[in-house]
Amino acid sequence: MSEMDTILDAEERGRTGLWPFWRKPYAKGDPLPAFPAPASRAHRFDEGDPLPEEYKSLLLRMLRHEGERAGNKSFLGLMATCLDLAEALFPDRESKLIKAEYLAEELKHAIMFHRLAVGLERDFALRDVPYAHYSFHLPRETWADDAYFHFFVDLNGAFHSRDWRESSYVPLAKMATTVERDELGHSEMGYHFLQQICSEARGRELAQRLLAKWYPAALDMFGRSDSPNVPKFIRWGLKTIGNAEIRDLYKGYVDRKIAALGLDVPDERRDRKFL
Amino acid sequence: MSAIAEEIRQAYAAVGITLDQPATFGTYYRLLCAGCGRILGHVGDKLLPGMAAEIVSRQGDLYASGLLGCSCGHQKRMQEKPR
Repeated sequence: MSEMDTILDAEERGRTGLWPFWRKPYAKGDPLPAFPAPASRAHRFDEGDPLPEEYKSLLLRMLRHEGERAGNKSFLGLMATCLDLAEALFPDRESKLIKAEYLAEELKHAIMFHRLAVGLERDFALRDVPYAHYSFHLPRETWADDAYFHFFVDLNGAFHSRDWRESSYVPLAKMATTVERDELGHSEMGYHFLQQICSEARGRELAQRLLAKWYPAALDMFGRSDSPNVPKFIRWGLKTIGNAEIRDLYKGYVDRKIAALGLDVPDERRDRKFL
Repeated sequence: MSAIAEEIRQAYAAVGITLDQPATFGTYYRLLCAGCGRILGHVGDKLLPGMAAEIVSRQGDLYASGLLGCSCGHQKRMQEKPR
């Protein structure tokens, strides 16, 4: 049995009626909106190929933001907070076990991205890169905060992974489908907790208030609409879509889910830091 | 302690929550109840300037109503105190 088969076997044995949360949405078809076809397929690089300087610089920049690497201490620190919150705030034993499955799956990603990093630049594999965006640092003081963190932030990962399916960097394109599916599942996990929280009046009141904190951060995660680097990413085939366009697709997706919880969708310009 | 972490510490101190020492590798801090020491959550030190004070002040009524804060009631009592 290969190392990957061992991981897949462990995943299979961890399945429950709920976990993995990606199973139900994908069973109904593609849960994510359609992305535009890549403008160009002029570039394609595999592990070990010599990379143009600008290409490598942009790819490393993208992977620094992604962060899920076994050798990134700050990623492990973030995971430790998830574990700490699961132990301190969990509403019931089932929710605690679900969070344990989530952590295991994120650590699987850390191994996958570690291999990618080693194949790209060995020194990068052990580089500590704290998450720079404020959304990763917002206070999580309740299970509802933690649920929003997963619903919004993991979904951001799913949207970017969808874009990576078309990446000109072959090792990233190969991983993209798995990472997208898992991250969508993590978002659905957060949504499942939000559904439980919103099923009673006080929970819904809290969720509505906390949404004002998380919604602008979620939209801000896609960066400035006029970022000067985006055309370079697109030209090299590292992205297919600009920040404003992917944000719009994401917003359409989350707005429908928020409304289905019985919550009011906040004004999209309120408290935004990166338009 | 970084300027942002100090800002976070002051913002939470006002509602009866203590910012603990940095957890794990230094980016994240536990939030502890200043009354009983229970873990209430986590916060990271890459918030933007002014953000911590704004978030905490907007949550004042949530601490007062008990929707946020420790089950021991410390933050709720802090909100009831005349300032």
